[in-house]
Parts: sequence; structure tokens; C-alpha cells
Amino acid sequence: MSEELISKKELLELAGISYGQLYRWKRKDLIPEEWFVRKSTFTGQETFFPKEKILERINKIQTMKENLSLDELADMFSPSLSDLQLDRDELIKRNIVSNAVMNLYLENDQSGPKFNFSRMLEVYVLEKLLQSGEINLDEGKMLLQVLKDNAALIKQKSCELMITRKLGVSSCLLLINAEEVHFERGTKVVVQVSLMTCMEEIKSKLV
Amino acid sequence: MKKDANLIINGSGSYPGGRYDKISIRGEGTIVSDVECSSFHVYGTSEAVENVKTGSVKILGEAEVKGNIEAEETLIMGTMSVGSRAQMKKIKILGLLEVGEGLIGDQASIKGSIVVNGDVEYETFDSSGGFEIKGLLTADTIKVGLRFGQSTAEEIGGGKITVKKKKNTLLPFGKEVGTLKAKVIEGDDIFLENTTADIVRGNQVKIGQGCQIGLVEYREHLSQDSQATIKTKTKI
Repeated sequence: MSEELISKKELLELAGISYGQLYRWKRKDLIPEEWFVRKSTFTGQETFFPKEKILERINKIQTMKENLSLDELADMFSPSLSDLQLDRDELIKRNIVSNAVMNLYLENDQSGPKFNFSRMLEVYVLEKLLQSGEINLDEGKMLLQVLKDNAALIKQKSCELMITRKLGVSSCLLLINAEEVHFERGTKVVVQVSLMTCMEEIKSKLV
Repeated sequence: MKKDANLIINGSGSYPGGRYDKISIRGEGTIVSDVECSSFHVYGTSEAVENVKTGSVKILGEAEVKGNIEAEETLIMGTMSVGSRAQMKKIKILGLLEVGEGLIGDQASIKGSIVVNGDVEYETFDSSGGFEIKGLLTADTIKVGLRFGQSTAEEIGGGKITVKKKKNTLLPFGKEVGTLKAKVIEGDDIFLENTTADIVRGNQVKIGQGCQIGLVEYREHLSQDSQATIKTKTKI
């Protein structure tokens, strides 16, 4: 992590907020736990934050809290996976998926233009891997199949998706809480992505 | 809508989870899977092997929930232990509550004691008992009355934090006084007594009798009792 950090007291000064407010927002989950970086300094323990992210977030909270309650804000920042629905244009506009990949996805999946979170994840992973040129179309279809079949498993756990090839035959695996995977010689791991990271990337694009 | 059935265990028994209206356990009862009910009353001994979701919890005996619990109103006069997370909106504890992960809610009133291995998050936290919190204690208003023993928290953070020593009315002959120990205390308005802390940060800080503080960082005002020690003070 090479991000610039800001200490809590500098942050309070810079943003003009109080301890009470900061802790209240933390309690309401407006500020993610991971942003609280605890470090020992020569004077003792201090909490730091990633400077850019936290300032942007506080700015958002402050401008929006006039119109929305804290609970509504919390929903916005951590879209609950179950009831969020977006349509295709919205996803394209938010740079989650390109037009071409979206069309491809919809050819394979006819459940309509409304996207819930698991479909967003599917299309996002597809986009990511196709755009990077690491996989081909057939592998993309295979990947969608795996994601769809196991949608229920993916939600909470830390999952990784892996595509391997051997002698020109590819296969797609979903690893759940796996520590290590080993293959026979000659197998090439084409790509390995953490779905957790993908979900976070999507969320950050939604906010 | 059809009303769910009640589950009453008198004597001893082991039952499956599911949905119930009222659960009342007077002897010894075990619920082996997830359970959802409008009230969960234990007068004897109970064990829930998985999660519990309920409106009101009343424990006069002993209760153990191995998973998570979610409750609106809770009154504990006996002992309760929760394995993972406890989301309890309004709690009143006269006995003992132990939580394995975090404890979260709106209003807490603690006259007994709590032991929490994670963070405690409330809007108002009022304790005149004891607590042992391994993580962060945060609330908008934190009011702590120190009556007996040592209460500890890794960190305390909030708007208004008041820690006062109290006369021990329960044990009139004992001379023991309560103390509070924390690494970091941060708030806008802080008043402390009988507290040992490495760092105290706040806008208005009052350090009263019996405190030992390593570093105080204050923005507006600091006052110190003659019977308190502060190693370093800085105005920021």
C-alpha cells in the first residue's frame, strides 16, 4: 500500500468534523473498517486513513446528509447484495461493462435487462477477463456457466475463479476457501481472479 | 396470517429450530438449528446450537447461543454467552453477558458485567457495572460509573465520554474502588476519573482524581485535578 495516509486528528481538522461524528459514521458503516489503519507512532497508537478515499467519502457524506438519513446513506455506500437492481444502460454508463461484452452476455443469458448483484458480478468478471485478452469466447461462456451454477455459494465466501488449459483443452474451476491448488505437469493456469476483489471493484464503481 | 406455535420446554428436551411465537424454557432445553421467535425466555438452562432471531430476550437462568443473535429488547439477569455476533438493540444487563465477536445496538445499560471479544457499538452506553472489551467501545454518549473491579477496553471513542467513580453501595464494608483501563480514549467532551490510559484525545478534556494518563492531546480546554498525573500534554 503506497497510498498517502492521514492521521485521525489531521483528518478531523481538515474536514472540520468531531470525534463524535466520525465514530457515529463508523458505527453506521459509512466508513469501512478496512480504512481504519492502526499504527504505532512514537507517541503511542494512532489511527490513520487512506487520505484521498476518506476525504472524498466525508465530502460525500457531508453534502448528502442534508437530504438523506444516515441509514439511507449507509445503504448507498454498501449496496446490500440482495435488493440492488440496475439495468444494462446503467452498468455501461458506470463503466462496469462495455457495450460489446454486455451484448455477448445477454445472448447467453435471457433473464432480461435488470441486473441484480450476482448477475453484475458475472458480467463484470466476463468483461474483465475478455478485455484483458486472457480468455477466449468459449472460455467466457464456460465461466458464466460456472458462476451461474454456483451463484448461491459465491455470495458470502471468499471465492476464486480459475481457468486452466492443457493440450488446448480448457476448464474452469471455482475455488472456495481454497488454500492451495496443484495440477499435473503441463497444465497452464490461464487466469485466477478473486471474486471478492471483483465485488469490491463493482461496489466502488456503484458508489 | 397464521400464528406460529409456542415452544415451551418444562423439564428437559431437545428441539429443532424454525419459527415459533414464544419460546419459554423452564428446565433444560436445547434448540439444535436456526430459530426465529417473538420472544425467547429462559428460566433454566438453554443452549441454541446455531443462530437466534427474536423480539425480546429474557434470561433468568443460563443461556448459550453458539452462533449469532439478533434481538430487539434484552434483559439478562442470569448469564448469557453468545458465540459470534450479538445484535441487540436495547439491552439491560444485571447478570453477565459474554460475546465472542461484536456487540451492536442502540441502548445499553449495564449493571452487571459484559465480556466482549470484539467491538461494542451503541448509541448510548451506560455502565455502572464492569466490562472487559477486547476491541473498540464506541457510542455517542458513554457513561461509566466505576463501582468495583477493573473495567478494560482497548479503545474508547465517541462524542461525550464520562467516567466517574461511584461509592460502592452493594458492599459497604469493602474499600475497593473501581478503575478503568484503556489504551486510547477519544471523544469531543471527556471527563475521566480513576482511569489509566496511554492516550486521551479530545476537544474538552477534564482529567479528574486518580487518573494516570500518558499523553493528552486537546483542542480547546484541558483541566487537571491535583491528584491526577499526566505525563505529556499537547494542545493541537
